[in-house]
Amino acid sequence: MSEVVVWIADGCITCDACEEEYPEVFKVTDDTCYITADSRTDGGFDTNEGTKSSLKSGLDLEAIQDAASGCPVDVIMVEVGSSGDSASEATAEEPTAEAAEPVEAAPAAVEASMDGDRSLLVLSGSQSGNSEAIAAKAGKLADIYSLEATVKGMDEVQIGDLAAYQRILVICSTWGEGEMPDNAEDLWNAANADGAPSLSGSHFSVCSLGDTSYEFFCQSGIDWDGWFEKVGSNRITPRVDCDVDYDAMADAWLSDALAHMGAVDGEGNFNEEMVASLKEKAAGGSKKAAAGSAFDIPDLVGQEIQVNARVYRYDPESGQSGHDVWRCAVPGSVSVLELLRLLKATEDGSLTFRDGNADDPTTAISANGRNILPGRVAISEIVRDKDGESSLRIDPLSGFDVIRDLAVDHSDYHIHLANAKPWMHASTREGTKVSQGIIGTMDAFAAETIHHASDFPSCQLLHASSDTVPHNRSYVGPAVIARLWARFNDPRTSQKGKDGYLATIQSENGIKAEADLSSVYKSGRAWNGAGASLLEAKRKTLQDDGFTGRHGKHVWWFSETVKLSGRLNETVLAGATLGPFGMAKNAISGVLPRMLLGFTRTGGPMIRDLQALAAPPASVGKMPKMINSSVDDHHEVVAIFNKFDRRF
Amino acid sequence: MAKNRYAYFPGCVTLNSAREVQDAMLALARALDIELVPLNGASCCGAGVIKQANWELQIALNARTFAQAESQGLDVLTPCASCQGNMSEDFTKLSTDADLRERVNEQLESICGLRFEGTMKMRHLLHVLVEDIGLDVVSAAVKNPIDFPVAGYYGSVMQQDGACGDDDIYDPHYFEDLIEALGGQAVNYDSKAKSVGFPSLLSEESSAMKMTASVLSDAKSEGARIMASACPLSHINLDSYQVKAGRVSGSDVDMPAIHLPELIAFALGAYNDRYAQLRTRVLVMGN
Repeated sequence: MSEVVVWIADGCITCDACEEEYPEVFKVTDDTCYITADSRTDGGFDTNEGTKSSLKSGLDLEAIQDAASGCPVDVIMVEVGSSGDSASEATAEEPTAEAAEPVEAAPAAVEASMDGDRSLLVLSGSQSGNSEAIAAKAGKLADIYSLEATVKGMDEVQIGDLAAYQRILVICSTWGEGEMPDNAEDLWNAANADGAPSLSGSHFSVCSLGDTSYEFFCQSGIDWDGWFEKVGSNRITPRVDCDVDYDAMADAWLSDALAHMGAVDGEGNFNEEMVASLKEKAAGGSKKAAAGSAFDIPDLVGQEIQVNARVYRYDPESGQSGHDVWRCAVPGSVSVLELLRLLKATEDGSLTFRDGNADDPTTAISANGRNILPGRVAISEIVRDKDGESSLRIDPLSGFDVIRDLAVDHSDYHIHLANAKPWMHASTREGTKVSQGIIGTMDAFAAETIHHASDFPSCQLLHASSDTVPHNRSYVGPAVIARLWARFNDPRTSQKGKDGYLATIQSENGIKAEADLSSVYKSGRAWNGAGASLLEAKRKTLQDDGFTGRHGKHVWWFSETVKLSGRLNETVLAGATLGPFGMAKNAISGVLPRMLLGFTRTGGPMIRDLQALAAPPASVGKMPKMINSSVDDHHEVVAIFNKFDRRF
Repeated sequence: MAKNRYAYFPGCVTLNSAREVQDAMLALARALDIELVPLNGASCCGAGVIKQANWELQIALNARTFAQAESQGLDVLTPCASCQGNMSEDFTKLSTDADLRERVNEQLESICGLRFEGTMKMRHLLHVLVEDIGLDVVSAAVKNPIDFPVAGYYGSVMQQDGACGDDDIYDPHYFEDLIEALGGQAVNYDSKAKSVGFPSLLSEESSAMKMTASVLSDAKSEGARIMASACPLSHINLDSYQVKAGRVSGSDVDMPAIHLPELIAFALGAYNDRYAQLRTRVLVMGN
C-alpha cells in the first residue's frame, strides 16, 4: 500500500459514523475524532492534523475512504501517495473553496521561528464545564499559532509533568468559598507539597473564572497564578479574572495569550516582535477557517427584507448628534448586531458600537424602542412595517452616558454594584449526608426562588429598563437591587450579610428611589422575576418602616381611602402624605396658580377651580372632591379588605 | 341597542379630579354609538399602590370588578392607561395562577356571590377605537379636525404584554394613527411610552418632575404644540405640575396637555367652547 495519511480537520460533530465503519483507525472522543495509536506509525493518539503521521501498512484503504465519504461534515482528510512523493488528495469530497483557501502567509520572521518544540499544555480546572470549554477552544485555536496543544484536565496530569512543557496555559474556575474545583484539588495539593518542580524557563498565563457575587472572587486562578510565579515560571500575559459573563473576556485573553505563547521559540525565548505578526496571522486564519467550519451557523437564506436603518450617531469631539439612515437589503435572519457589523464594514468604518458574542451584556442597545442584546434578535423580529417599508431605529442603551455613537459608558452601574457589594457572605451551616459525602443542600423552593429573582438576561439591560435611572444618578438601580434581594433571601447568607444587603435596599437611594416599577415590567416576561423581586423589596421596606415617611404614608392612606369608600380620595391622600408643610409648599410652587388660572380645565366649570379658594386643595392640581361617595355594595369592598389584610 | 357595548370603568381620577374625562367619554360614546354600561359597584383598581402593601388584596378587589363585568357578559372599557395596565396585570396573574384564583374565588363567592372565570377582557379606549370601532368610522365622524401637531402620551403602565391590545409594546403607534384619523398631525417622539413617575409624585417628587419634564420637552422638541394623554393620572403630572417640572428640570416644557377622550370629543364636535379655548391656549402656549 502506498503511504496513507489520515487526519481529522476541525469541525467533527462526533457522530460515530467513522468509528462504526472502521474502528481500527477511527476513535470518536467527546469532542472530535482521533486516529488510533495502533494504526499510526508514530503511535500518537490525536486527530493527526498536526503531525500528519502516516498509517501502518496492512490497513484497509477502501474502508478508510468509505469512512471519509460517509462523514457528514467531510472532516476526514485522506492523502495517498508514495513515501517522499508529493501527496495527492484523495478526500471523498473536496473541501469547500473557502475552507481550502490557504491562510495568508505569515511574515517570514514568524515562519522562521516555528522550528523546534512547539508544544503547549492547556490545563483546565473545571467544575461545571466552563473552564473545560475554554481549554478545548484553546486547543482548537493553537494550530493557528503553530502550536501543538495538549489539552488536559487538572486531574489528568501529575505535578511533575509540568516540567516537560515550556508553554502552559491555565484556565481554572473557583468553587464555593474560594475553593479549587474538584478536578484540581489533588494537583493543587501536590503543587504545594514538598518536591514540587521548578518551572524556570517556562512561560505561563492564567484565565480565572469566578462570580463577583462571592467574596473570594476568582481565588483559585489567583492561587495558581501565584504558584507558577513562585516556581520560577514567566507570566507571559497578565492573569484575567472573569465574572459569570466570561465569554468576551476569556476570548480576548485567549487570543492574546496564544499569540504570546506562539512567540516563544523552540529554545524557550520570547520574541515580542512576533506577537503582532501572529495576531495578524490569526485574524486571517480564523476568518478563513470559519468559512468552512462545520460548526458555523448554516448560511440560511432568509427572506430578504428592505430595511431603512436609522442609526444614532454622536461625535464627542464636535458634540453633534443625529441619525444616519441607510437603506439596505438583508436576510431577515440576520441579527441586529450582524447588521451593524455589515454597516461598519461596507458603509462607514467609523460607526462605533460594542461588539461581542451574542450573549455579551455589554453589547446591549435599543432597537425600535426595545432594549435588546443585538446578537440575540433577528432583524425580522424587530423591524416595523409601515407603507410597505421596514424601519429599524437603533439607539444607544438608555440610562447610560454615550461615549460615541452606540457605545455607552457602563461605569454608573458598576460603581453602584461595587458600592453595594452583593457578594456572598455565607453563614456556617450544617451539611447533609448524601451518597457523595457531606454537602450543603437547599430545599427546591428556596433554590427556585433565588434563581427566579436573579434570572434576567443582562444586568445592563435591567438597569436601563428603569425610567427613573436617567433622572436620578444616586439611585442604585433595579439590577443592583435585584441582586441584593436574591442574596438577602438566600438561606446560605449570614445574618450580618443580610443586614448589609437590606441596609442598601432600604436606603434612600435603594428601592424607594424607583419612581415607577411599571417601566421595569414593560421589558417583558423575561424580567418578571426581577420585577417581582423589586416589588417584594419595596413591600418589606414599607412594612419595616411601619408605613411611615412619605412612601409608607402614600401606600397606607391610598389603601385606607379605598377601603372607606371603594374609591381613592385624592384630597385625603395628598394631605396625609405631604402634611400641612408639603401642601403649603406645593400651593406656592406653581401647581395651585396654574389651577386657579383655569389652564388645567380646558374650559371646564370654573366653580371647581374657585373651590380651591375656599378650601386649600389636595395639591395635585385640580380641585378634587373632599368626600367620596361610596361605590354600590361598598360593604363587599370592606369585607375583602378584612379578609385579605386586616391592617387597614 | 348599540353595536358596541362595554362595562365602563372610568377610574377614580376620572370621577374625581378629572371630571372632564367623564364629560368627554360620554360625548364620544354617543357620537360613535358606543354603549357604556356602568359598573357602579366597581372599586378602585389599586393603581399598583395597594399591591405594594398586599398584592393579593389588590387582585381580589379587581377580581370582584372582573366578575361583575363577566356577570353581564361584557368586556371592561377604561379611559385610564394606569387602570388598564394594573388591571390587565392582575387579570393575567389570576388567569395563570390556579391556586391564587381558587383562593380569591372562595372569598369572592362568600362575600358577593361571584366568581372570576376569566371570560372578559380589559380594554383601553385607544385599543377599542382602533380594533373594534375602526379608524375609518372615527374619521368619518370628525366635525372639527384637529389641525395642529399633537403628541400622544401612552405612559409606561399600559405598554405591557397583554395590556396594549395588538399595538407594539415598545414602539406603539395606535395613538398616532388615531390622531391622524382625527385630522391632526401626529408627532412621534422617543418618550411617548416613558413613565412620568406619577406613582411617586407625592414621595419622590424630584425624580417625578424630571421624568415629566423629559417627556414634555422631548415632545416639544419634535414639534408638538399640544399633548394628549391616555392616562388621567399621568395627566396630573403633565398638566398641573408642568410649571414645577419645568422649574425643577430647567427645561422648556410649556405646552397645553389634555386627555385623549377630550381630543376625540372635540374632534367629533362636542364642547365647541372648550375646544375654542384650547385652540387659544395652543396659540399662546404651544410654541
